[in-house]
Amino acid sequence: MVNLPTTPADILPFIIAVVTSHTFITLVIFPGFIHLTIVVMFLTWYERKLLARIQLRIGPLYAGGPGGILQPIADGVKLIFKEVMIPYKADKPLFLGIPLALVFLGALPFAVIPFGQHWVIANLDVGLVFVFAVASLFPSMILIFAWASNSKYPFLGGLRSLFQQVAYEIPMWISALSVVMLAGSLNLVQIVNAQQKTWFIVPAFLSFIVFFIATMAELERLPFDLPSAEPELVAGWFTEASGAVFMVIFLALYMKLYLMSSLITVLFLGGWWGPAFLPQPVWFILKALIVATIIIIPRGVYARLRVDLLIKVGWTRLLIIALANVFITVVLLSTGVLSAWGL
Amino acid sequence: MPSLVSYIIVSAALLGIGIYGLSVKRNAIRILFAVELIVNAANLNFVAFARYMNPPNVTGQVIVFYSIAAAAMEAAVGLALILVAFRLNSTIDVRKLNKLKG
Amino acid sequence: MSVPPDITFVVLTTVTLLAAIMALQAKELIYGAISLAISFIGIAGFFVSLDAPYLAMLQIAVYVGAVVVLILFTIMLVRREEADKDETGETGQSAAGLWLAGLLAVSIAGIAALAGPNLPATPPPGNLPVSQLGPVLAGAYPVPLVILALLLSGALLGALVLAKVDK
Repeated sequence: MVNLPTTPADILPFIIAVVTSHTFITLVIFPGFIHLTIVVMFLTWYERKLLARIQLRIGPLYAGGPGGILQPIADGVKLIFKEVMIPYKADKPLFLGIPLALVFLGALPFAVIPFGQHWVIANLDVGLVFVFAVASLFPSMILIFAWASNSKYPFLGGLRSLFQQVAYEIPMWISALSVVMLAGSLNLVQIVNAQQKTWFIVPAFLSFIVFFIATMAELERLPFDLPSAEPELVAGWFTEASGAVFMVIFLALYMKLYLMSSLITVLFLGGWWGPAFLPQPVWFILKALIVATIIIIPRGVYARLRVDLLIKVGWTRLLIIALANVFITVVLLSTGVLSAWGL
Repeated sequence: MPSLVSYIIVSAALLGIGIYGLSVKRNAIRILFAVELIVNAANLNFVAFARYMNPPNVTGQVIVFYSIAAAAMEAAVGLALILVAFRLNSTIDVRKLNKLKG
Repeated sequence: MSVPPDITFVVLTTVTLLAAIMALQAKELIYGAISLAISFIGIAGFFVSLDAPYLAMLQIAVYVGAVVVLILFTIMLVRREEADKDETGETGQSAAGLWLAGLLAVSIAGIAALAGPNLPATPPPGNLPVSQLGPVLAGAYPVPLVILALLLSGALLGALVLAKVDK
């Protein structure tokens, strides 16, 4: 590690050494704060533009620059200036604190996701289980927030959201189990390294589909949108959030979207591998954005699923398909069919 | 790194807190909190011993693996029982839930 | 003791024990459940410092992600209007409880401290990689694994049957 400065002449070299150290760069600049903030804001603009074009509209246009690219900043400014209304007898510390916790938990797994061979903040040996553990904390935060809002609609929306997210977590992680078996490690860097010749979407196609559908349910995107459905629940579990609280929750949702897209890229789409004319992180972000696009598009296309059918599908059909794929993977691995693909 | 004795002392402290809650609290859900604390104290003990054995032995971690699963199961069934008791008696005060019959 | 206390250990101990006490003493049950979750996360931190990262993640995923959710659920379903009035509910024997718990904890800690010189003061060299966990689980103890799976399904069905509302 660097030596702490002892004389005033040492301070500048110390600062330069810290700022150019790998930890600092990964933590603050590249897969860290600055990159996350920029990409999440870009995703909000991107979604609105994309949905607008699907619905034959134009979308944000006027907020500075070409095509309203500064719209997220305009949104942020507007939301900060709105009044934060706390419902009668709502639990104030929880109401104000849980959105911050949600953003924190949404950003935390990025510490283990590798954007390139060395562009990872913390190369944990149990990286995938870390993401699983953090992802399992979301439903409880949503439940506490819904309860803390002390009002009917958020509570019902929070319960439905909890049921839905808990139901779809299990097929998600069982299909990730197939990937772990193919790669032979829980370490995300090694999972991507094992995809050097073939992306895991090829041998584990069924589990890609299951993981993708489960992701859309986890993120509460249409067609799994019932917890936030308009005519029934006003806005679901974040009905009572307004102003800055809503902005923080909004950011947390988009951070989760980027997180899940990055996770799908790491697990199934070969991470950063691509022809060498572009640097590795660029391939990663490109693939993650393509996945995010495919997640966003159904919002403008499909109708909503009823919540009890949704939960039933999660517990029965998807679980069986995920387990079937684990079995298929075991068979493929043990008979050595995949050795031709470099696995 | 702290010595093994420090980990045992922390585990004993958690055990003490859990037993206090188990014997003194009236609300059935708080008693469940206390039981979970006791199980966690035991888990901590197992993992500490697994690491400090010479050479470090992974069996302690396997035991904790089972213990975590078993405690989750027990919490689920216990909470279902609390729900049923509440439906039948409209109270979860364990001093009032002292009749075996309906 | 000539060894300076490890800052991580001290912080984790404080957080875990304080959160455990708060879990039992907090006025609102929901705050108690959240403190319990924080205590579980503290124990997961202990697991990480004891070279058991997989167990730490499992602890967070199962305890904080599932057991605490169940507890929150039940708390929300057993609310009555006057439920919080007798919330400092103790059985009136808190002194006896304190003595009992204190005696037990102090005796265990005392035995440990007395055996202290015979117990390792620093962890022995070697580590416990995650890859060692699987072969022992499935290889040396396959029968408990299967029994655990059956027990889990049984417990799940039991909880479902118990909590079902009969028409």
